[in-house]
Amino acid sequence: MRIDFRMDGGIAAFPGLAKPVSIDCEALPPADTARLRTLVQRAGIFSKSHGKKSAPPAPDARAYTIAVDDGGQCRTLTVTEPITDDALRDLIAELRAHADALRGRR
Amino acid sequence: MLRRIAARGTAPQRDAALETLATDQTMRLVRATHELLEARSQRGLLSGPTAAKQRTVYDAQNTETLPGLSVRAEGAPPLADAEANEAYDGLGATFDFFAGVYDRNSIDDEGLHLDATVHYGRRYDNAFWNGQQMVFGDGDGDLFNRFTVSLDVIAHELTHGVTGDEAGLVYLGQAGALNESISDVFGSLVKQYARGEAADKADWLIGAGLFTSTVNGVALRSLKAPGTAYDDPVLGRDPQPAAMSGYVKTSTDNGGVHTNSGIPNHAFYLAAIALGGHAWEKAGRVWYETLRDKRLKPTATFAQFARYTVANAAHFFGKVERQAVAGAWSAVGVKTG
Repeated sequence: MRIDFRMDGGIAAFPGLAKPVSIDCEALPPADTARLRTLVQRAGIFSKSHGKKSAPPAPDARAYTIAVDDGGQCRTLTVTEPITDDALRDLIAELRAHADALRGRR
Repeated sequence: MLRRIAARGTAPQRDAALETLATDQTMRLVRATHELLEARSQRGLLSGPTAAKQRTVYDAQNTETLPGLSVRAEGAPPLADAEANEAYDGLGATFDFFAGVYDRNSIDDEGLHLDATVHYGRRYDNAFWNGQQMVFGDGDGDLFNRFTVSLDVIAHELTHGVTGDEAGLVYLGQAGALNESISDVFGSLVKQYARGEAADKADWLIGAGLFTSTVNGVALRSLKAPGTAYDDPVLGRDPQPAAMSGYVKTSTDNGGVHTNSGIPNHAFYLAAIALGGHAWEKAGRVWYETLRDKRLKPTATFAQFARYTVANAAHFFGKVERQAVAGAWSAVGVKTG
């Protein structure tokens, strides 16, 4: 499973934080891989229809773009703040942590 | 002369002279009263029932449920919670600025209640305006302090509400960059007004104090020197251009609204410096009147906005001011005529 993740917007456009990352889940320690799989499943990336809300962007709110490629299936969605879905929020927190690690952040 | 006629002239001459004197006194009294009222309102003393703050600060208690628990209502004393107090004071300072300087009664000019939620989320490193209220995170303690620490950030968020109420600039492309710029401009002016600073003494920074000491940077943005606010291994380098030659074409950040805002930001800074004195008096007034200008479309470009600022500078002030504003836009590469 590969997850492409991007964080966009916010009160300032920090180039370092806005860089997209590609997470190869299988290359992670097994516990991390399992955790990501669980979070993806709980968030219903492939099972739920995350309806496209055409609401105008709230000023300074962030938008997260998540593209999950799980071999057979592919799904991309964009989630904007405020995030009301707990499972999505947990997934995004985990993805941010991985993105930070990939960017060499302490 | 009129008094001499009144004292020594013929009856009809006396009557005419006395009538003229009476009218003149009346006009002088009217003028004097008007000037007195204007002076009072400029000093922020005019705060009758039409301009009263109604603030409420809420605590989301580290959840992402809005608005959260009401912790400080209008008139209530300070709490132990610094973030809540900063939000309360910042809401007040922003209200006082718009009311005192432009006679605007809250965000919608109709006394809209000002609501802010603090302690939103866990280690939440952002702040935003959700269309109805402000939302502030505590920061992650790693790169960011609490987001209420900067008055200009609080005012920046509230000003999004003002823009939404007036021009309704779409949060996309150049119109979005203008929207962002207006929040930075008035965010900075609220801080300058609170400090009583002249334009050439202000720091013209947005979010100074927001970064922790580990970050190599002074603020989120600089209107005085776009692109110099930070240069950090994790955050990257401040991407803002100061002129059209550096305009960034991108699909991220709604077309770079937080990046290209550097251009109109810098134009405002240049206009304020050229005009001198307090930046909110002339430059700020021109920008404010342009924001309210019926001709300004929600999809306005930099050039369209700029042309209206030039026209409004002439309309509300004069040739000198018009030249200063036109010169500022020219310096950042935006043609106004």
